[in-house]
Amino acid sequence: MQGQKLELAIDSIRVRFGSQALTTAAELPPPQAWPSRTPVDKLTGIGGLPRGRVSLLTGSGTCGKLTLALALLASATHEFAHAIVIDAGGFDTWSLLPFSAELGALTVVSAPAPELAGEAAATLARAGAGFLLLTGAVPEHWLGPLESGASRSGTVVVGVVDAPDRALAHTSSFSLGFSRSEWVWERGQLAGIRVLARCVKNRVAPPLGMTELEIRYPLGSRGLTDFMPGIREVRVQIEEVAECTSAAV
Amino acid sequence: MHVCCCLTGHLELARRPDLYGSPVVVGRWEEHVVAASEETRELGVIPGMAMRQAEHLCPQATFVPPDEEATTRIRELISSALYDLAPIVEVRDEGIAWLDLIGLVNPGQSVRAARHRLLRAIGREPRLGLAPGPFSARLAAARARPGRLLRVADAREFLAPLPSRELPLDSEQQERLDLLGLRTLGAVASVGPRELESQLGRDGRHAVLLARGLEPDQLEAWRPPLFTSAHRQFGEPVEDREALLFVARALCGDLADELGLRGAGAKHVRVRLLLESGESEKRESIVRHTLSSTAELFGLIGAWIKEWQPRAAITEFWIELPVLEAAGRRQLRLWAGGDGSSEEVIAALERIQERFGDVVWHPRPA
Repeated sequence: MQGQKLELAIDSIRVRFGSQALTTAAELPPPQAWPSRTPVDKLTGIGGLPRGRVSLLTGSGTCGKLTLALALLASATHEFAHAIVIDAGGFDTWSLLPFSAELGALTVVSAPAPELAGEAAATLARAGAGFLLLTGAVPEHWLGPLESGASRSGTVVVGVVDAPDRALAHTSSFSLGFSRSEWVWERGQLAGIRVLARCVKNRVAPPLGMTELEIRYPLGSRGLTDFMPGIREVRVQIEEVAECTSAAV
Repeated sequence: MHVCCCLTGHLELARRPDLYGSPVVVGRWEEHVVAASEETRELGVIPGMAMRQAEHLCPQATFVPPDEEATTRIRELISSALYDLAPIVEVRDEGIAWLDLIGLVNPGQSVRAARHRLLRAIGREPRLGLAPGPFSARLAAARARPGRLLRVADAREFLAPLPSRELPLDSEQQERLDLLGLRTLGAVASVGPRELESQLGRDGRHAVLLARGLEPDQLEAWRPPLFTSAHRQFGEPVEDREALLFVARALCGDLADELGLRGAGAKHVRVRLLLESGESEKRESIVRHTLSSTAELFGLIGAWIKEWQPRAAITEFWIELPVLEAAGRRQLRLWAGGDGSSEEVIAALERIQERFGDVVWHPRPA
């Protein structure tokens, strides 16, 4: 009975305002994806991070979100003319070295004040930067311009925050929550962490999913000299260990 | 062949597209005819004739006073519409548009685009001529059907049978040519330049060169004007920043439209506020990459307004672009993946740098 009423209401809206006035989510075209070549691609459901949308990597403490973001940034420097970091503090170019980023395509905007971060992010998204990495929160009143600017230009926006506020969480189209499950030790040395990455919000495609990642630090059996800038073969590995079943929408 | 001529009829006639197809004479009473439509020319009305005489010859015509300002606007509109089709574009009030196609990879494409843009701008099909120079191209266009192109490979051969009254000489000089028996351009071409110079002065020498297809005249390239501005006067003095932002966005939109028409970008931006107290405040900046879209202009001006603290309420708001650059049609977003907007991103980074100081840096490999 309720279903019939709903159908009737939908029909009357379509008759009055046209067939395009009301569209079911399944009929909407998915946003264009940017394949980042990381395990995140599988979790989005569209084969990559959504272009023109805001994606979030969240989680408290050491949980691998920044490492994954750096891997995404390094990949973006090879694919876009402009990969930009809006640095709220703590971004270190040296941390990108193991990922073999193309530094010529990388620009950093130091934005200690959230207002500056918001304005810079919105301006650059509107201008059409290929990839934007936000390492801090953005004031609520800049989220609208950021979202619309990115939507217009197709910019991939990735935010890394411990816990997003309500506005940022609402703005994001794809949100991945990280939680550390265990430390990985090898021969008595800390070699990495094992984390659980769970899709906590997905507006681009069903279903929500989760996966377990092993993030390896560039340590292991190598000596300290391996961390000199000239040594490039040191790579951080982000390996997918096992894929879990998807949760329902 | 490298000059294309498009004939559209006098631009005074283009002001009244509703009168296309009917006899129209443009001119002021007690003065001379400025322009006459083809329908009146069949009855003997020609530009330069006394208006009373034109009325006598064609009493059924619509007589329209000239409007030089409107005609100039139409000429500017046509010039800017054709600006990016050829390295040199010249448009005259008589309804002649020349395009120097030398150096173009695909001149045919430019000719087709010129035809479509003129049709859109003035609402009627132009006649097109393609020849080695502007004079022969104009005569070729005059002999083409509307919307069609007449190509001339050998200018001298094409010009030879045409009447000598096509030469740019006054009536007295034309009369002398008649007396000399030089009634075709071929006859004029056979005379030595010095011989005719002794009869008609410097114009005689010029006429011989034209008749021989040597094209002594060069086109004068149209350049976009170098200054533009937009302003809004408020009925009541304004203190509300949001209202000011709203007006600024609208003015930026108007300016961007104008810049788009001219194919130009702003190199220098100035904003002036006239205050209720009679004073004025201004802010200006020279930008490295020209601004031409609404978003680019408003990105800079909006940022100024957001932090501006005027001393009194605002009565008038001016946006001036004192230095324009002939940017042509910049092909932004040419490449996939947003890389085509690289120029816009660099400009945005410069604006951030200008606004917040030294916050943008590029990591360099060690």
